[in-house]
Amino acid sequence: MKIDRRCFLSLAGGLVAGHLLSPVPWKVTDDLSIWTQNWPWTPVPETGPVTWKNTTCTMCPGGCGIKVRIIKDRVIKIEGREDHPVNRGSLCPLGYASIQYLYGPSRVKSPMKRIGERGSGNYEPITWEEAITEVSGKLGDLRKSGKSHTVACISGSDKGTIPHLFKRFLEAYGSPNFIRTPSAKDAHETAAYLAQGKKAQNVGFDLENAGYIVSFGCGLLDGCGSPGYQFSSYSRFDKDHTLVQVEPRLSNTAAKAKKWMPAKPGTDGALALGMAHVIIKKGLYNRNFIENHSFGFEDWTDDDGNIHMGFKGLVKGYTPSMVSEITGLAAGQIESLATDFARAQHPVAVCGYNECTVSSDIDKTLAVHALNALVGNINQPGGMIVFSDPEYNLPEVEKDQIASDGTAKPRADRAGTAEYPQTRYLLNMLPETIMGANGNDLPIEALLVTDANPVYTMEDNETAQEAFARIPFIVNFSSFMDETAQFADIILPDHHFLEGFRDVPAPDGVGKPVTSLSAPVVKPLYNTRNTGDVIISIAKSLGGTIDASFPWNNYEAFLKQAYNDQYTDLSRSGYVVSADKPAPWESAFANERGKYEFYPTMRHTAGNDDKSKLPDFRQVDIPGDKTNDALVLIPYKSPRIASGAIANPPFMTKTIDADMLKHERLFIQVNPETAGKLNLKQGDAAVVKTPSGEATVLVDLFEGIMPGIIAMPAGLGHTAYSKFIAGKGVNVNALLKPVFDPTFGLNKAWGIRASLQKA
Amino acid sequence: MTTPAFPEGVKRCGNGQFILWLLPAFLVLLIAVYAMFRVWFYGLNQTNMNDAYGFAIWIWADLAVIALGGGAFFSGFLAYIIGVKNVKNIINFAVVLGVVCYTSALLILGLDVGQPLRGWFIFWHANIHSMLTEVAFCLTIYLGVLIVEFIPVILENPKIQKNRFFHHMAHNMHEIMAVFAATGVFLSFFHQGSLGGVPGVLYGRPFAFREGLFIWPWTFFLFTWSAAAVGPLFTATMCRLAEFITGKRLVKDDVYRLLAKISGWMLLTYIIAKSIDTIYWATVTAPARGFTLMDFYSNNPAYYGIWILIAEILICGFLPALILITQKGRENKKLLFGAAILAIIGLCINRWVMVLQVLAAPLKPFQEEWFVYSPAWTEVITTILPVAYGIILISLAYRFLPLFPQERELNP
Amino acid sequence: MQKIPSHTKARHYGMVIDLDKCTGCATCMVACYSENNVSFRDDESVKLLSINWIQVYKLTNGKPFPDTEVCYLPQPCMQCDGKDFGHPPCVSVCPAVATDFDSPTGIVSQITTRCFGCRYCMAACPYHSRKFNWWDPVWPADMQNYLSPDVSPRMRGVIEKCTFCYHRFQQARQKAYAEGNPEDIGEDDYQTACTQACPSGAITFGDLDDPAHEVYKLKNNRYAFRLLERLGTNPSVYYLSTRKWVHRACDNYLENEEPAAFANKQA
Ligand SMILES: Nc1nc2c(c(=O)[nH]1)N[C@H]1C(S)=C(S)[C@@H](COP(=O)(O)OP(=O)(O)OC[C@H]3O[C@@H](n4cnc5c(=O)[nH]c(N)nc54)[C@H](O)[C@@H]3O)O[C@H]1N2
Ligand SMILES: Nc1nc2c(c(=O)[nH]1)N[C@H]1C(S)=C(S)[C@@H](COP(=O)(O)OP(=O)(O)OC[C@H]3O[C@@H](n4cnc5c(=O)[nH]c(N)nc54)[C@H](O)[C@@H]3O)O[C@H]1N2
Ligand code: SF4
Ligand code: SF4
Ligand code: SF4
Ligand code: SF4
Ligand code: SF4
Ligand SMILES: [Mo]
Repeated sequence: MKIDRRCFLSLAGGLVAGHLLSPVPWKVTDDLSIWTQNWPWTPVPETGPVTWKNTTCTMCPGGCGIKVRIIKDRVIKIEGREDHPVNRGSLCPLGYASIQYLYGPSRVKSPMKRIGERGSGNYEPITWEEAITEVSGKLGDLRKSGKSHTVACISGSDKGTIPHLFKRFLEAYGSPNFIRTPSAKDAHETAAYLAQGKKAQNVGFDLENAGYIVSFGCGLLDGCGSPGYQFSSYSRFDKDHTLVQVEPRLSNTAAKAKKWMPAKPGTDGALALGMAHVIIKKGLYNRNFIENHSFGFEDWTDDDGNIHMGFKGLVKGYTPSMVSEITGLAAGQIESLATDFARAQHPVAVCGYNECTVSSDIDKTLAVHALNALVGNINQPGGMIVFSDPEYNLPEVEKDQIASDGTAKPRADRAGTAEYPQTRYLLNMLPETIMGANGNDLPIEALLVTDANPVYTMEDNETAQEAFARIPFIVNFSSFMDETAQFADIILPDHHFLEGFRDVPAPDGVGKPVTSLSAPVVKPLYNTRNTGDVIISIAKSLGGTIDASFPWNNYEAFLKQAYNDQYTDLSRSGYVVSADKPAPWESAFANERGKYEFYPTMRHTAGNDDKSKLPDFRQVDIPGDKTNDALVLIPYKSPRIASGAIANPPFMTKTIDADMLKHERLFIQVNPETAGKLNLKQGDAAVVKTPSGEATVLVDLFEGIMPGIIAMPAGLGHTAYSKFIAGKGVNVNALLKPVFDPTFGLNKAWGIRASLQKA
Repeated sequence: MTTPAFPEGVKRCGNGQFILWLLPAFLVLLIAVYAMFRVWFYGLNQTNMNDAYGFAIWIWADLAVIALGGGAFFSGFLAYIIGVKNVKNIINFAVVLGVVCYTSALLILGLDVGQPLRGWFIFWHANIHSMLTEVAFCLTIYLGVLIVEFIPVILENPKIQKNRFFHHMAHNMHEIMAVFAATGVFLSFFHQGSLGGVPGVLYGRPFAFREGLFIWPWTFFLFTWSAAAVGPLFTATMCRLAEFITGKRLVKDDVYRLLAKISGWMLLTYIIAKSIDTIYWATVTAPARGFTLMDFYSNNPAYYGIWILIAEILICGFLPALILITQKGRENKKLLFGAAILAIIGLCINRWVMVLQVLAAPLKPFQEEWFVYSPAWTEVITTILPVAYGIILISLAYRFLPLFPQERELNP
Repeated sequence: MQKIPSHTKARHYGMVIDLDKCTGCATCMVACYSENNVSFRDDESVKLLSINWIQVYKLTNGKPFPDTEVCYLPQPCMQCDGKDFGHPPCVSVCPAVATDFDSPTGIVSQITTRCFGCRYCMAACPYHSRKFNWWDPVWPADMQNYLSPDVSPRMRGVIEKCTFCYHRFQQARQKAYAEGNPEDIGEDDYQTACTQACPSGAITFGDLDDPAHEVYKLKNNRYAFRLLERLGTNPSVYYLSTRKWVHRACDNYLENEEPAAFANKQA
């Protein structure tokens, strides 16, 4: 066989062409690529008609109005309601991310009963009927054995009808122990009570109309109070607005402020008094308010003829140079701050929705409130606004003998007792009391936890956990498998807020009396129940006067009755503003004199060494010894970390900066100067030690933190929820320790002494 | 009489020894193939690349291997187009090397893309403005050409030659080889250039960006030039290595000297051009974007700083070029191959710098840190894969094919 | 009387981000994840493996306490016009036309089903705006329910990036057509998700060439500048800051050079 050139070429050509012309390789190639474009494991979201529904976000006490985009009963997106008086379109990142909790893996999907060891997380699903029978059975037994007062409820909030139902339940059942978790509200409401005479008032700030804001460490742009409200107010700031931020760390708020005044931590009270000194000395205060609506500005004589120093007298000592020494700020700076503040249009001094430690320093808060009083900016546009909760239209609670006896017993947390008569809740005291009791005589035999996660949020966390472990019966109402739920014997999961009803009154720090309605936008996904319904069911199955105190078929009926004729408005527009204007000075102050008391005569003094009721500056001695623990640890809040209210959903954790979290390790902020002395470099592993505990962290050199101070973000170090948050970073609460105010029992610690050493 | 498996008149080692020699290479190949499948199955998360280092060790290896494989095209150019007779004595070997280099390059590309099954989109949805399109087209076609060039070499195996069809086919193919060689050379010029264009057109990356001629940045020409200069040196060095391993002389020294001379002059002109390019870039292109030369050479976490530039241009550029253009340098084999190795290193450094340092250098002044990257084992092993695969293919080719026309004469 | 012209008016969409206003809250990032079905993993702390279409960077002036200043810089894809309006660095290099410049809007598209993951565009983009899907996206069981049908979830091995929420433009255009007024996509009709979400009002979005739009005014502000402007990428995203150090931190300058806003001008 002879092959010539032609033959060869045609053969080669034929081969190639034959292959290329056959459809097989092309088809296969094409199909393969189409397959990669439609991988069966890549979801294809179903489309359909879009609807938008309005409701209210309850992920934090901010109370923002939201609109929810829904396609075929699927919640696709959350956006801010432009027409909502709290947030006017603005939302914080948590609001956007909250759909991840609706569908998230950490939801408790049905009632659960613990089968394993406490904390082991072993639960078995039970029916609602079983769960309610179990809880009411246990509560019934306790009641029969005369221990009704050993039942307590820890709630994340005391505002709104759900907490109200719990309070009502305990009242009918026979326990005084409704306990709200500690919060910045404690200090504000106590100060407002002392100076203005009404209990349980809300203190807000009309930031949108304020012209000059001095913020004493208030994380206005770090996620404090109602972030939605604060951000939206800030978005309207223009050149006529001034924000001065006082705090030892260059927070986001400080970074955005016109002026950052890094006062030493824990010295805000002195600065406020120093400002008052300048304002009074220069005569820049509001004469009308001082003369006609205040008391205790000047020295005064009581009925017994004793002369008391007034506020003016107190601040005489707080000269700029002396305050400069305390705060570390220049005297000139203090003077001009005070002058600018007092001369500005609508100046307001803000504090309190700050300090993750929930430092409730009453003196400091009174001093800051006094600044607002000095410039006459209480219940005025752009000022500090004080208002009460909505009044519910409900029948009296029916009490039997057990209930009357039980509610008359002293509270387990010692709040409102002779020791701390002016304080409403003292959760921080509880661990000590439980640990101090002997086994047969526990102050708490059964605990109901709603909307709170004390096992995670309480300071001196280890002790708190030990105490909770001793409580024989814990019922948790959380929608999520949080740290406290993991301690519970029975979990009675609430709906996610997009699935159920709930009223949201008095969002934290907001300068207007707004009440919003959170209403279901989708059907409940799982076998959950509105906590209100569950409480009503438990009450009914307990029978007797308890049943009689809950004459409603369900929570919705209760809610409607509670709001009465406001309910139509509430459900139609999603919110009501209960008063157009805050109470005028003439009627704002509920004390005997009807005046703002610079000298708070009502202030309880039993625990006070110097017996002075004036808001003097008293340096709080934080835990730890100065020689071994040369540094001071303060927690800080980041808008990208939900701290308190709920743990971070995955979207928020995704936004956390690389200099805050690296894999499971948390960064601690250290000034380069401090780090230099400790021989620490960026990214070094180090051990931080406090009287409460220790943790291994990574070092982040940050020029913006005061030398000697170290700071850790709050909200990490969870152990529960899901893999998207558990095991990341350190729970700063485990390193903190409360310092109890001798008069109020509230925690005054603004930080803790600490040491930091290379790991 | 049985036909021998080996080329006529040459000695080859026993089968046992040969298998033993290939064993390590096979082992490496096996692990590398495992790594490859991991990458294909689980995706590129099996590597240590990231969003700053979208190109990594693979792409460097790719560029380097293609440049070095350039020995094939430039030898082809010399042999078939210019007609430099003596080059024919090494051209077969150059072709085999070329095949190894280019198949490896394509394999790496197939491994490196996130969606290998859509790889053909580059042809189907081709964007003619993209240098990568140009690279893909030229590379694929050129590999075809190389294989066509390789086939007659394969066909020359005595056993295959016995088959009349293949005998004639080999003959016919030899006759038209010049056409293929010419096509190959043309394609090569282009894809080497396009590869140079790949970094050069990145005007968002001032470290790589080069102004240039028409649509081509200077790197387009520099890459072709450097590949042409160093490719033959790589061929020669590999040939020398083969001599060392087999213990035989395979080509005459004048072949080496000839390649060295040509490469030497090419290298010298290249490195002068590269220096001019560097100076222009450092004094005009970069400053216009707010950079000084040292911005690109300080704070590098690998600490080599400006030394990498000195190494590339002086130590691995001018130095070997000067050695190679002098007769004395070429006569001394140690100097010659020392220079060749330097030049090869220089070329690899150049490709390293042009692909990886480009990505490492921070651009945003608020992001002062250099991006660091260290390859994962999957990347390292698959980068070594071409070496193992090269050893196997070349060993086989050497054993069974008449790669070196002078071998019989040199080893009587 | 309805008249439907064949095409909409050419626009040149862009953004102006006021850095003096931005608080670094990252709401824009989360809103973008939610709007665009951005996937997430359990460890997102390695930012070079984390998919973010808009990334908020933290800049500091480097001065010691207490003169330290911090500025946050949100950075989406800059939707570069590139050289001669139409050649962004990333577009010209893509071998498969998987990313393209849309001249009617000035938006740089990304077709993830065409992308084969060569990452050349990533190398070309000086802003690190392009993110690669190193992993298959996985949503925990029920979370798939929140995925939006307007934006296809991406698969492993492809590049994704900010598209200026192009699907919102398409919806706006559709609405304009339906209303018989395709020329008239108003400023409010098309806003990106991050712009809407920014609780501080730091982002403004619109047609950079339309004097009726807010961005037109803002981009002509003396203190407007663009990130790495001197590379010639021609970004459609402008930034505002009155602080010189911020300008300096956002582009490369030789020692003797001053940022444009501060050069040859009396302070
Ligand atoms: N997204 C989201 N937002 C939330 C919540 C949430 O869970 N998620 N929770 C809400 C709740 S319940 C609350 S109470 C608020 C509280 O939240 P914030 O009011 O924001 O409190 P922090 O941010 O903790 O404030 C701590 C700041 O005070 C500074 N600081 C520390 N010690 C001192 C000091 O002695 N003096 C001064 N001047 N400054 C000091 C620190 O530097 C730090 O920046 O947040 C609310 N906002
Ligand atoms: N690290 C740290 N600790 C803090 C603070 C801090 O900022 N950082 N802040 C302090 C302050 S100011 C406060 S107010 C407290 C807040 O602390 P807590 O009042 O203990 O509440 P949260 O931690 O906010 O936890 C609320 C829990 O309620 C559950 N939950 C969420 N939604 C619902 C629902 O719809 N129904 C029910 N029944 N449960 C639900 C969630 O599982 C969540 O874990 O924490 C204090 N402790
Ligand atoms: S501030 Fe609070 S209420 Fe408002 S969106 Fe954020 S989490 Fe929800
Ligand atoms: S949402 Fe607005 S303020 Fe927050 S980081 Fe983004 S641009 Fe800045
Ligand atoms: S990675 Fe995708 S979009 Fe980018 S250049 Fe390659 S094919 Fe084009
Ligand atoms: S920012 Fe990057 S990805 Fe976006 S258009 Fe510019 S070059 Fe392309
Ligand atoms: S414009 Fe749209 S896609 Fe781009 S970052 Fe903003 S939200 Fe994301
Ligand atoms: Mo709180």
